[in-house]
This record gives sequence, C-alpha cells and structure tokens, in this order.
Amino acid sequence: MNNPENSEVRNSGMDQGENWIRVGMSTCGVAAGADKVYEHLKKEIKRNNLDLELKRCGCLGACYAEPLVEIKYKGLPRVIYGKVDEGISEKIIEEHIIKGRVLDSGIYEFNTNRF
Amino acid sequence: MEDKVVVLLKDTGVSNPDRTEDFYSEFLNYLKKKDLHERVQVARAEFAGIYNKGVVMKIWPNNVIYSNVNTSDFEKIVEKTIVENTTIEELLHKDVSRTKRVVLRNCGKIDPERIEDYISAGGYSSLKKILKGMNPDEVIEELKESGLRGRGGGGFPTWMKWNFARQAEADEKFIICNADEGDPGAYMDRSIIEGDPHSVIEGMIIGGFTSGASTGYFYIRAEYPLAIERVQKALDQAREHGFLGERILGTDFNFDMEVRLGAGAFVCGEETSLIASIEGKRGTPRPRPPYPSVQGLWGKPTIINNVETLANIPVIIEKGGKWFSGIGTEKSSGTKVFALTGKVKNSGLIEVPMGVTLREIVNDVGGGIETGAELKAVQTGGPSGGVIPYEYLDTPVDYENLQKLGSIMGSGGMIVMDETDCMVDVARFYLRFCVDESCGKCPPCRIGGYQLLDILNRIAKGLGREEDLEKMEKISEAMVRASLCGLGQTAPNPVFSTLKYFRQEYEEHVKDRRCRTGSCAELMRYSINQERCTRCSLCFKKCPVNAVSGDRKEGYTIEQEKCIKCGECYEVCRFNAVERE
Repeated sequence: MNNPENSEVRNSGMDQGENWIRVGMSTCGVAAGADKVYEHLKKEIKRNNLDLELKRCGCLGACYAEPLVEIKYKGLPRVIYGKVDEGISEKIIEEHIIKGRVLDSGIYEFNTNRF
Repeated sequence: MEDKVVVLLKDTGVSNPDRTEDFYSEFLNYLKKKDLHERVQVARAEFAGIYNKGVVMKIWPNNVIYSNVNTSDFEKIVEKTIVENTTIEELLHKDVSRTKRVVLRNCGKIDPERIEDYISAGGYSSLKKILKGMNPDEVIEELKESGLRGRGGGGFPTWMKWNFARQAEADEKFIICNADEGDPGAYMDRSIIEGDPHSVIEGMIIGGFTSGASTGYFYIRAEYPLAIERVQKALDQAREHGFLGERILGTDFNFDMEVRLGAGAFVCGEETSLIASIEGKRGTPRPRPPYPSVQGLWGKPTIINNVETLANIPVIIEKGGKWFSGIGTEKSSGTKVFALTGKVKNSGLIEVPMGVTLREIVNDVGGGIETGAELKAVQTGGPSGGVIPYEYLDTPVDYENLQKLGSIMGSGGMIVMDETDCMVDVARFYLRFCVDESCGKCPPCRIGGYQLLDILNRIAKGLGREEDLEKMEKISEAMVRASLCGLGQTAPNPVFSTLKYFRQEYEEHVKDRRCRTGSCAELMRYSINQERCTRCSLCFKKCPVNAVSGDRKEGYTIEQEKCIKCGECYEVCRFNAVERE
C-alpha cells in the first residue's frame, strides 16, 4: 500500500495566483459544451472589466459533471462547478465573482485539496 | 466588519435518502437564531468529492472539512469554528482519499497549449537535470530503482527496455510514443496528451538521451484531433524553447520528433504492427523476437512506450526512483490511471496508487453503483482483459494479481457492472470487437475468433448446445497459445473469465434458454397479464410491427410469431401488465 509519508507530488505552481477561473477543455469537456462556456466567460470578464485570469486546461477527471469550471477568487473558497452551461456561467460571474457569494447549486467538488 | 464565512455542505451518505436539504434549512435556522446569517453564507453542493462520510461541511476561511456532522454538532461548529476560529478535532475529516495524482499532476491545472505554464509547474527541469549532470547509466539506474513498468498493459520493466536499446549497437535509434489508444471505453492516454502534452514529450526526450536515439515519433490515432493539435503545438513550442532540435540546451545532444497518425486499426497498438504502420506498410504484427528494442523501426533499435509510462519519467527523474517505488506495491510501484465507466455513480478519469482494491475504487472513488443495484463484476483491460467477479473485489490491484484472476491491467479501462448486465452478452461484445479488429494474418486469431463468436451468438439466440461450453474453452486455449500477437492471444480472455466465474449463466442460456438479466433479447418472451391490463391500448399503438392484437373491449394479446422482442410494449406499459420472461 502507499505510504502516507510520501512527499507530495510537485505542486503545479499555478495555485499561487490570486484570482483565476479554469475551464476543463479536453475532448470530454468540449463535447459537453466547455468551449461555449469558455467564450461566454471570456466575454463577460471583458465586459465587466474583471481582474482575473481565465485559463483553458485539461481534464480534471470528473467526467460525469462536465463541463467543469474551477474557481479561486478572493474572499471565497476554491470550488469546482459542474455541468456548467451559459446560464450558469453568467451566474458565476454575477454571483460568485461580482457579488462574492458562492452559488447555492452546481458545486461538484469542494474537497479541492485532493487535486 | 468581521470576515465573511462560507459553509458548503452535502450529505455524502449512500444508504439513506439525501439529508442535505434538511441540514441546510436547520443550519440556516440555527444561524438566524444566533444572528449570524448575514455573515455566514451556506451553500449546498451537488457532490463533495468525499463518499460515505455522512453530512460533510467545509468551512471557509478556516478551510476545514468536517464529516459525519449531526444537528447536535451545530452549536459546537458555530461557537468554536465560526466564532472562535478553532478546529474541532473529533469532527475533522481525515482525508483517506484513494486517489493520488502523479501522472495527472498537471491535468486540469495548466493550460496545455502554453509551454510557459508547464515550465512554471516545474516542467523540463528533469531534462535540464539530466543534461547538466547525469549520464545515461544513471538515468537507467534511477528507473530501475523506481520499478516503473510499462503502463500500456504488458507491465514490462521500463528500465530493461531502455537498457536493451541503449546497449544495442547501431548508427541510428528511435523512440516511439504509443498513443494509439483503442480499447472501447478507455481514454486515459487521450486525457494525458490533451491535458499535459509536454510531460510526455519531456519523457521522450529523456528516453532519447538515455538510449542514444535522435528521432522520436508520436504515434497518435487520427480519431483524436484535439490531442494531435495539442501535441503539434507543444512540439513547436518545445522547439522554440530549445528543448528539441540540435544542441539541446547548449549540449551536444540532438533530438527531434514528429507526429505520425494511426488510421484507426486496433492492431496498430501492438508494437510490431505500429512499427510497420510508421514504415508505411500494412499494419500487421510480426513474430517476436527480435524485439523492437533490438530490431525495430527500419531495423534499428527502437523503444516503444505508452503515453502514461512516458509521463511518469519526468517525475521519477525529479523526485528520484526511491520516492516513486515508495508508492504502490513492491512489485508494481507507482500509480495507475483508470477510465472508470459503466454503472458507477461518478464515472471519470481516476489515478490511484497500485495496490488499492477494486472495491475501494468503485465505492470510495467512483461513489458506488449508480442505480443502487448490486455490484456484480468489474471488467478491466478492455477487450484483452477479463471480468473480475464480486467475490474477488478485495484483491489489491497490481499486474500479478489481475493476471492471476484471469484479467489484465491493460491500458486502464475499467467497466463496472451490476446485476442487470448479462455476462454472455459482455463476452460477446468484447469478442465481436476483437474479431472485427483482427488483422487476419494468423489463423488462430482469424478463424478461432470467428468460430468463438459464432458459438456465442448461437447461445445468445437460445440455440446453444451442451457441448458448446467445452468447445469454447478449447478454441480459446488454441488462440492463447498459437496467435501471433497480443490481440489474438488475449482476445479469448473475456470468454475465459466469464466462463470461469459465471458458468451458471452460460448454462442457463444453453439449458433453460433463459437470460436472467433480459439482455439477450432473443431469449425473451413478452406476454400481457390480462388481470393487470387496463386496456389502455398504449402497447397496441406503440408496437412497431403490429404484433399486439385485440381491441379495448376484448383486451390485447401479443402474437409471438410477429414479435421482434424490441421491448417497446414492456417499456411503455404503466401498469406492469406486460410481462417478460
């Protein structure tokens, strides 16, 4: 069995940035509509002049909940929203980013330490 | 003003009905009573990423996760954690997560189309490390210590493969990345390439340095357009940054690589066929030895590694072989990526250390069975693998154990089956795939597979004979022994293992002409129970071949000669009046 004392695998280094949104855009995500979500988020971020980095990433693994959008934004815990469509991505911008309240539906993972 | 607090909650229990809503409203009421509801936001999550730990709460900014929370704990949680900002030890969730991300370390974290992201995540530092101060022998020593074995399914020690190629004398050597992933239901390699292409490329460059190869080929199946695009972009970027090409990082080491597309033949995942395919020949296997590491592409020593194997290399160089061998079991070190699909609640791409049990994978990582039905078996290794029944699910997953059970590790497809899956049908599905994909070069595979499938088809139609089971075992044995390549040698595995563990189901099909799950449509007989029938006429209207006769006064019956057993009447009946047996 694995030894819990094993030092952790190198940290991706990308966790240091203060504010970011990552969209899982492998074939699985794109097939579920992640490209539309990405474009929508990009437009909304620009329109609202928001200070955050939008990233296209690979697959996180939770295929049952694609498209996945992971967010770390100041003042709020890091969460992953699942089954995101344009409507939810709009809510993400309005509620999560602008009003600073996590959405009361659509969180598919909060045990983010395991990634 | 005091800091805002966010509480996320979710009932992760699997046996009871979901209590998330009740806890949500009760916790809100409690907060209102304490006049904290303005400061604390409570949100319900769909999934927590934790399974079977009762109600789970994450409290932020403390960043603690409590599990098995009861309503009586509310007071404690609010007083101690939210107000006083202290942790309640006895509620703290001990993370026993079975997953460990080594290969997928960057997947979902970095932008695969930006080399800068990979570099800032520590990428290409292993390449720098070996070019600055390691010789090929030291790299092989490190790999030997790590115990890394081929992740494509065979489990051959990677250091040996590399060492053979290194020791072979030749004016030119090659390294090939095998990304011709063809197992039905498997997509590990695709996700790795799409999420983190540079780690595979870095692994290949290190392989080139170690073996003395100066050219690499990235063999990707043409059905993966996005993967191809990302690899191509990654190669261009690596070349711009001086990781590929001549005089890499200012040393005398030259290495470059290109992409080759596979045209969709499953057999081209077999290494000798793959080599033939790159050479522009028809993709058929040839007898081994000589092995490719001695005589491969264009007759030169060639290393062929799977995507996942190569993605492990940079981590091993960076962290050391010793670190890597500390993960997993003694004989099978490291982790394995699986594509977990089938009847499991949370299907997806998972990475677990070797040695976890199948049950842990299904329940703790996959969240259990989707329908609530009983878990019946797990199929591993795709069409070359076998079915592992419920009784053996506590076996730790590694190369040897799976082989002992009549299955293989394979490239990492893992399909979970429940009691509604018919084992004859499962064997038939995989065998049909292998028969379709057989290249036809050697008779055991070409003829044996065809005959085997013929018998299975007959059994599924209710025309099986008593001697069939024995005959199937004989043919399977011949295929295993005499086929030229892995495709034919392993094609009978699904038949073998289902015969071994689920013989009774086969016997039911043959003797009683019955399929207990209803999967084998032609064994079904549909009839209408006149007592339950309300004469709503829905089945009469829906039957595509007008096999339901009668009218609303007289009632309805199914004419067996006309019935094509599509099951439409059974599906539409709201009164369970259509019976199936």
